[in-house]
Amino acid sequence: MVFSTRDWRQRLGGPSLPFVDSRIYTDAALFEEELNKIWRKTWLLVAHESELAEPLDFRTTSIANEPVILVRGEDRKVRAFLNVCPHRGALLLRQPAGNLQTENPSGSPKRITCMFHAWQFNARGECLSIPRRNAGYQDRLECAEASLHELSCEVGYGGFVWVHLDGNAPKLGDHVGAAFGDLAPHLQSEPLEVFHHHKAIVRTNYKLWHETNSEFYHDYMHHFNRVTSMQQPGYYDRRYTAFPGAHVTVSSMVVQYGAYEHEQLTIADSRDFSFPGLERNGWKLLDLFPGSTINLRGSAVRVDTVTPLAVDQTLIEFRGIGLRSDSAEVRARRIRDHNTIWGPFGRNLPEDLLGVTSQGLGMRRGAESLHVLQGRFEDSSIHDETGLRHYYAEWSRRIGRDAADPYGEKQRAIAEAEPALLLKRTGVRA
Amino acid sequence: MSQATRAELRGQLQQAIGESTLCLDERRFGDWLERTTSEFHYRIQAYSHDIRKRMTWLEHDRAGMLALIELLPKHHINHADWLRHVVVYDVTQETQDSARVISSLAAFHTDVDVDDAHVQGGSSRLFAVGRYYDRWRLVDDSWLLADRTVFLHTRQLGLGSHVFP
Repeated sequence: MVFSTRDWRQRLGGPSLPFVDSRIYTDAALFEEELNKIWRKTWLLVAHESELAEPLDFRTTSIANEPVILVRGEDRKVRAFLNVCPHRGALLLRQPAGNLQTENPSGSPKRITCMFHAWQFNARGECLSIPRRNAGYQDRLECAEASLHELSCEVGYGGFVWVHLDGNAPKLGDHVGAAFGDLAPHLQSEPLEVFHHHKAIVRTNYKLWHETNSEFYHDYMHHFNRVTSMQQPGYYDRRYTAFPGAHVTVSSMVVQYGAYEHEQLTIADSRDFSFPGLERNGWKLLDLFPGSTINLRGSAVRVDTVTPLAVDQTLIEFRGIGLRSDSAEVRARRIRDHNTIWGPFGRNLPEDLLGVTSQGLGMRRGAESLHVLQGRFEDSSIHDETGLRHYYAEWSRRIGRDAADPYGEKQRAIAEAEPALLLKRTGVRA
Repeated sequence: MSQATRAELRGQLQQAIGESTLCLDERRFGDWLERTTSEFHYRIQAYSHDIRKRMTWLEHDRAGMLALIELLPKHHINHADWLRHVVVYDVTQETQDSARVISSLAAFHTDVDVDDAHVQGGSSRLFAVGRYYDRWRLVDDSWLLADRTVFLHTRQLGLGSHVFP
């Protein structure tokens, strides 16, 4: 059969074979809508508290184009602020991390000082000094009016730092719900510590990265996963559980690391320790809407966070996490285990990034839209695509568009062709 | 080998590093390993300004490196021709048969199928910069690499790589 390009790209999918329209990955206007309707209105996992271990430690990040400061106060509370001086809009802190007691050319210790005009703020975001305030502003501007813009910030679920751009956000617990239940015994019984961080900017839409973390059908791409998991007992017993808010967990299996030829030749399955309460070589995963994943595998945790930069450009940060109580020897082994699979020179991660980059190229801006399938139903087992469908149900609710029909084209076509069918399918009278 | 002068030693090690680098660039990984000692140890490290920690991204002994190389055909990689530009900065003789060498490294990729091959194929880009911190040992009149730490300044490596710098 010969298809026109458009027909070929849209031939798969329908009520029995769910799909999304590829323009949700390529439409720049829709991307801006996502920033406003999702990223600016959601709790986001942005760091781990161990990155701010000491009073006056800070980290900088960004959310939906807004620069953000995380800082631990002298009261040990972690707070988040816009990283923008209220005076003339300059960035306040430029380093990725540091401590406010470190000397810098323009400021007193313990203060966030804008390098431009030396306005100063404390770790609570309160303005402490406006140089020559009285001479310039007389009684028209007081320091008290010039505090930093504080954002909602909480630390929880294993010491992760969460930020919501709305200073009056609903509670984090309302967003997370019960999604952490399966991981809680392993991540919350003792303090954790970040040992690894690297990042990649990839030419693909952010949702495609989260999708990769939300389906395991792509294990066909990974030699490592095929031999250590897919061909091993228990793999197809793994199950997805969906939670309100589009979070998804994946149940555990025992990974047979020794099946990978490299392990046989070298370290011969040395993963003989794990996380508290996790079976040896167990593997659990939690996907958090809209773009974080916590992947607990054997002796290490990998945490992915995405920062959408453009419709076809995504910053992904990768963190590796162990226990704060690790001895030097144990920590070294966790690092080795983590990076064997997930480091920038690891066996799996470059393959995952290659996969989503190829999606970004296949569904580039300007190409005809494609029906991207999410139609695997396998009783929520490991190759089921329920995680993807669950994600897009929430995405569609928040955006107010059907991910399969983001511009209402199909609905309009049905309405024009068969009003009765539209009524039957959607309840909408044409 | 008789006692080498400082200049001779530097010249010998520059030659050894050059030959070793050519092996890597030309993907003659077996030949590269032939130029290492039996107790060879290799690691890639970087300092994260984000978490303020030194990180080890890859670490293997000789057997581990051999396994890594042998398994390359089973993994999907982005194909690129590598060119490692290595400049020897400092040579310190430890004993008559052992020396430490610090070199700067700039690794370039010429893309084969990275991104869209139709558009990008044939273009060159910088993959990473950093330094080699090596220990070389003189064994049977040949300098062999006994230990290498590749300390990368570059922390954004794009997709990453199954091939090592």
